Amino acid sequence: MEALQTTFKEHLIDFVFYCRARQFVLSPQQTLEAFEITEKHFLTHRKTFQYALKSIFCKSKEHADRFDEMFDRFWSRFYKEELEQRPFQLKAQEKKSESASLIFMGATFPNPNKQKEEEAKKTTGANATTLLRETDFSKIAAADKEQLEELAEALFHEMSLRFKRRLKKSKSGRINIQNTIRKSLSKGGLMLDLAYKKKAKEKRKVVFLLDVSGSMDTYSFYLLRYILVLKKYFKSLEFFSFSTRLTHVTPLLRTNDESAIYKAIGRHVKGWSSGTKIGASLKEFCDLYGHKFLSQKHIVVILSDGLETGNVSDLQTAVKTIQKRCKSLIWLNPLKGMANYQPIQKGIINVMPHLDRFETAHNLNSLLKLEKILMNV
Amino acid sequence: MNKEIEQLIRDFDHHRYILSEELATSLYLMQSLEKPLLLEGHPGVGKTLVAATLAKHLQTDLIRLQCYEGLDVNTTIYEWNYQKQLLHIKLYEKEGNTAVLGDKIFGMDYLLKRPLLQSISAEKPVVLLIDEIDRTDEEFEAYLLELLSDFQISIPELGTIQATSKPIVILTSNRTRELSDALRRRCLYNWVGFPSRTAEIDILHKQLPEIDENLAAEVVTFIHNLRKSSLHKPPGIAESLDWAKTLLLLNADHITDEIVMNSIGSVLKHQEDVDFVKNKSVQEFLFPIND
Repeated sequence: MEALQTTFKEHLIDFVFYCRARQFVLSPQQTLEAFEITEKHFLTHRKTFQYALKSIFCKSKEHADRFDEMFDRFWSRFYKEELEQRPFQLKAQEKKSESASLIFMGATFPNPNKQKEEEAKKTTGANATTLLRETDFSKIAAADKEQLEELAEALFHEMSLRFKRRLKKSKSGRINIQNTIRKSLSKGGLMLDLAYKKKAKEKRKVVFLLDVSGSMDTYSFYLLRYILVLKKYFKSLEFFSFSTRLTHVTPLLRTNDESAIYKAIGRHVKGWSSGTKIGASLKEFCDLYGHKFLSQKHIVVILSDGLETGNVSDLQTAVKTIQKRCKSLIWLNPLKGMANYQPIQKGIINVMPHLDRFETAHNLNSLLKLEKILMNV
Repeated sequence: MNKEIEQLIRDFDHHRYILSEELATSLYLMQSLEKPLLLEGHPGVGKTLVAATLAKHLQTDLIRLQCYEGLDVNTTIYEWNYQKQLLHIKLYEKEGNTAVLGDKIFGMDYLLKRPLLQSISAEKPVVLLIDEIDRTDEEFEAYLLELLSDFQISIPELGTIQATSKPIVILTSNRTRELSDALRRRCLYNWVGFPSRTAEIDILHKQLPEIDENLAAEVVTFIHNLRKSSLHKPPGIAESLDWAKTLLLLNADHITDEIVMNSIGSVLKHQEDVDFVKNKSVQEFLFPIND
């Protein structure tokens, strides 16, 4: 029993390091408290143990949102039976590569090993993390998927923290007489501390339109995760998905449970992995939601490969309308990351003149670059 | 589930508060590790009520400090009773005994205890609720650090006052501003979110036992669908309860367009939100939802 306790405590320390690597600020005090709860009969119930650690380790909502998933991911490794099941699960996922769906997002890859080698050749000398950041989502081997997801989670979280810090109030500007007098009350009426006021920054409003058609299958999952992270910091972010039909996804995001969000998206999003009618979908967006989400305060980001199967002139008209009515229109195309990519498809070539920016979104680095674009708009 | 936590959930249930296992674990841990608990969440999800119910459960007093901008030491910790000091100065002057004057008038007898000092000098542990800590200034937040980590308060004229009994401290915040890392580090943390549909129906039944089952289900479905809409301020549990009470007063059996028109003001507090709901059919908000 004592040996078991020692092993468990070692794993607990590993978990502390695992959390620290994911921007949880944990001092030895928290480790001690975690040890203390292992003595208090919390270990007999997994959920209770999870909630107890959550209470000790989390210091903000952002931590709390991520903790459950991190806990499951880490401790499922600790439980042997789950560890043994993993190779079978991976095999099962590879077998089902023909039927792309939300459940297998990002795990449906043809001939993974060969393509990974091709990518690796282009980034010689890079370590595993850099390699993963540079590798095209569609060329990640199934075995590396979990590692990529962890890396994506960590990097997106870091990005979200940067957003948050930049959005903090500054302590300069014009003197706020009312607050200065109020502050002086605690100093016996002496105005030692000045209070400042600054014109409130205009809130950024971002609208994401994500293509979830079959041709985008290998990218949709990561793009979806990316949007979910941004949603936490852009309160006015609106999210739509489209393939042959448009779905307003924002109402499904009003929960903290990420797995519940994925389930809801799986249930409600129309035409996941089906054909692409970008023009018709964008027209639907303009007609139904344009009055609300298209203004000079809105930045519109379209994430699509631009492989239009519908009427190209519809697409051109819709893009033109959106560009006219919003502050800035950005098109992110995962195909742009391919070495010999030329924007010669009918869909893309017709809309290019109406875009403010045309960028790539094929790997983690390209997604992280969008941060700068969003900040500067 | 741990036996003590199970018991805590049962006791809270007895006091008409439906406690989630996660929050119950935090409350149990808070007492067990003797650390303050920071509760964050949307307004109206029951953060303040947790402290009140905990005080009832522990059969102890609740000392509440409502925070606001400009809150200072004099209103939260202590203040010298100047009138009493002046009276005694006059008295000592008459007696001619001025040697002991300084020691006497800066004693505990001349101190007016404010909530924080009251909480640490109580004979038996009390529940101290520091409500809406995000509304105070950063300076006051820094002053709290000593109390939260060491359960002591320093008064320049008297020295350090140690807690005679450690209070059970609950801090709440609506996240109107970011709290400092130093404060967060000293607390256990729990995010109080909106409850599931079933849990919210249970809350309505607990708080309003006379409510009809179907009406409670309709109210909760309506509120949950409202929360999914892009509103300025999504309604909390407090609003669900207010609306259910209103509907009971109106003798309503079901939610109809007319009832929504007349009573939605008890749920939504922004004109744009009210207009948004009034422009839609009630059936859109009674669309069944999953838990």
